[in-house]
Amino acid sequence: MSIIINKSFNDNKDAWNIDVHGEIDIYTANELKDVLIECISSKSKDVILNASNLEYIDSTGLGVLIGILKRLKTDERDIYITNAKQNVKKIFNITGLDKIFKVEG
Amino acid sequence: MNMPSKPEYVGVIRLTVSAIANRMGFDIEEIEDIKVAVAEGCTNAIKHGLDKNFYIKFLVSDSSLSIVIKDDGKGCNPCKIEEPDLLNPKEGGLGLFIIKSLMDEVEFTSEEGSGSIIKMTKHLGADI
Repeated sequence: MSIIINKSFNDNKDAWNIDVHGEIDIYTANELKDVLIECISSKSKDVILNASNLEYIDSTGLGVLIGILKRLKTDERDIYITNAKQNVKKIFNITGLDKIFKVEG
Repeated sequence: MNMPSKPEYVGVIRLTVSAIANRMGFDIEEIEDIKVAVAEGCTNAIKHGLDKNFYIKFLVSDSSLSIVIKDDGKGCNPCKIEEPDLLNPKEGGLGLFIIKSLMDEVEFTSEEGSGSIIKMTKHLGADI
């Protein structure tokens, strides 16, 4: 299982739209990291991660998001996680990371 | 069984343990918990193990499923593992915390220089 990541810059929201299809784990987390670093290096703006097609995330994926958030916070930017499935939300809840990321929808 | 210490095989173990838990009669939410916890255990073994393989064992009984994951890594002092700090979130160290949150019993033994063993157990019908 791999992931498909689509990125685009949303001028209206002044933020990156990141669409993730599949599973983020130790096998795929680096791919997400590379995409996110590329995005925020060109424009340090909010990141909206559309998780409606994200089937699974593990601690490696959370680690990538924490690393990116730390970089964004220096510019007072945020990461939004939108439309996450119940199992994905649960991982954010039990780790308390739902209080650090903006988990919506 | 021995599994290659390669990230691309964690998904295979997730499918395997899901199938075992399903066959035993765990419900969908419990299967999801077991799947996530076992994958975190394997991820730790791959990250910290030094061998080409790590060892995983599935112990099936009438009332519970236990999974033992063992690596031949550098090990660590379990006392030094910190709980996640939300005021100062770190990129690593969430795996064991997630396992403890999702499973009914977790035994983690590790010694510096001789690898780590984690045994995690989920009881059937524990939430009913």
